[in-house]
Amino acid sequence: MAVESQRIEDFRLTEEPYYLPLGNEVELFEAAYHGRLPVMLKGPTGCGKTRFVEHMAWRLKRTLVTVACHEDLTASDLVGKYTLRGDETVWQDGPLTTAVKAGGIAYLDEIVEARKDTTVVIHPLTDDRRILPIEKKGEVVQAPGEFLLIISYNPGYQSVLKDLKHSTKQRFVAIDFDYPPPDAEETILKTEAGIDDDTAAKLVKIAEKVRNLRTHGLEEGVSTRLLVYAGQLIGRGVEPMAACEATICKPITDDLEMQRSIVEIIATQF
Amino acid sequence: MTFGPAVGNVGMYVAREMLAAVPEERRGAYLRMVEEISELKYQLGVEVARQLPRLLADHPPEQVARYLDQVREVAAVGWKSGVEVAKQLPDLYEAPDERLAEAYVEIVADATAGPAEDTETAELAAELGALERELKEMEPKVRRRDELKSLLAARDRRDEKRRKHAVELAAALPPILARLRPRYRPPYLHQVRQVAAVDPEASLEAADTLLDLLNGERVSAEGAAEWVSRGLEVLERNREVGRGYFRLGSKYALQVLDELKEGLALKSVARVLKLYATALSGQDVAIRGTNEMEAVDFFGPEHIVLPPEMRFFEDDDRNFTAYKVATAHGAGRIEFGTYRFQLADVPELVGTLRTRYPESSA
Repeated sequence: MAVESQRIEDFRLTEEPYYLPLGNEVELFEAAYHGRLPVMLKGPTGCGKTRFVEHMAWRLKRTLVTVACHEDLTASDLVGKYTLRGDETVWQDGPLTTAVKAGGIAYLDEIVEARKDTTVVIHPLTDDRRILPIEKKGEVVQAPGEFLLIISYNPGYQSVLKDLKHSTKQRFVAIDFDYPPPDAEETILKTEAGIDDDTAAKLVKIAEKVRNLRTHGLEEGVSTRLLVYAGQLIGRGVEPMAACEATICKPITDDLEMQRSIVEIIATQF
Repeated sequence: MTFGPAVGNVGMYVAREMLAAVPEERRGAYLRMVEEISELKYQLGVEVARQLPRLLADHPPEQVARYLDQVREVAAVGWKSGVEVAKQLPDLYEAPDERLAEAYVEIVADATAGPAEDTETAELAAELGALERELKEMEPKVRRRDELKSLLAARDRRDEKRRKHAVELAAALPPILARLRPRYRPPYLHQVRQVAAVDPEASLEAADTLLDLLNGERVSAEGAAEWVSRGLEVLERNREVGRGYFRLGSKYALQVLDELKEGLALKSVARVLKLYATALSGQDVAIRGTNEMEAVDFFGPEHIVLPPEMRFFEDDDRNFTAYKVATAHGAGRIEFGTYRFQLADVPELVGTLRTRYPESSA
């Protein structure tokens, strides 16, 4: 019997998540949703992919089930499994099944990190069949019209061994994300961290310079999320240099010379 | 059972029953006799101790004295014959003809001593004795000979090694000199010569290290001389440690170098400055030293040329700041294509700064 699966109401967003559109991504996403087309979000870490999905889920009034994929995540973890409870063997839906049954949005974050058998599960959901086979139960769940599958991945640091197959990639509408332009990023920082114009401008200027070091020893530039953290620390009274070192410099590299050069970049602003 | 220490060593030869067989008034004499004869040879003492009780009991003292004399006579030429004579004589004394014992002793003594005229044996023995004395006297010389041999072998190995390293130095120096900046060549050769005279192996290390120190301008020519001088002191004390010094493989070598260096070396901060310039300009920027000026265009679009040492200030922090200012200046030139700059070119920025810093703009 199928009992006590995750409660779908736990995944409903009650407040509007802040998101500043940077292009036509909102329109593109809405069109894909209404056309029942799965969506793939590509972009560097911390540029706003997850926030965008949350915003769209709230905007479309759908529940959102987010799965942070990792190398031990199997198809069973997504679909569901039998578990022992007392003397009984009970079925427990996985997050993907929960989202499908509820007609919500399933968001598989960093899908390439998951095991390969997960793609077998998502393929039937991404074409015109829109079905979720549950092999262990011998069932097939038909996704309602409101259901949407979203995946995300970061092409910047995927290796050859960890890339999406073309047979998977070509099932999705792709929306590219990147760090916001300076004006937009300043606006985001002011809104999210509650800092003044000058501080926001300085943080964005630092980020712009540090991002120039991508391919020069940095795998990724400093993310908007880290800039928000910096702003929040400054807003809480932390001295700007210390706040920036803790959020912009140290999290993104362990290379001491790289850290020193980033500190010098920060020092040009604070 | 034997007597204890009260009768001296005699107790080792005289059993209680032997002593009991000696008339009481003669026991003291018996023990003295055994003691005296046993001083010649232990085995003689044992045999005489066995025979004396019956002689002392049956014969007058003169006969006993005669017995001891005859035993001594034979033992003087061979103790084993003496033991046999000591054993047999008492029976011969019992013979009616007293001359039998005399003849017996003479025959055994002569047979034991051999021909009196055997001079060859005596000469051989004398020669052997002399040789042994000589050899004994030579023992210290033999020991010294062995010491010298091993010392010379070690020196031979050392010299062979020295010659091998000298050949390596001969091959290494010309290409190093070609890479060394011309003005440093004379002092460089002087320093390498000093080290090579002491230890060619260390001079190979010094040759490489001095090239880097001088070409990289991490020390002046005078500084290099001081660094070598300190290293030679180390080398005199311990070759291995000295070689480590000249390859900059010891803490002391680096410490001395740190004392002698003048200013901040570009090499030590080049990567930080490169990343700084790349971040500022958004372009891949290389940092070059003015010592590479012969090979690079000063105003090249992809690099910033800086002095190999920054010596404006006493401390490294401020020297680094000076490097940073020069790098930012160079990054500006790379980003905008020129060093020319006028405030009129950036009126908006000037306005912003005037607003931000009103006192300064006044």
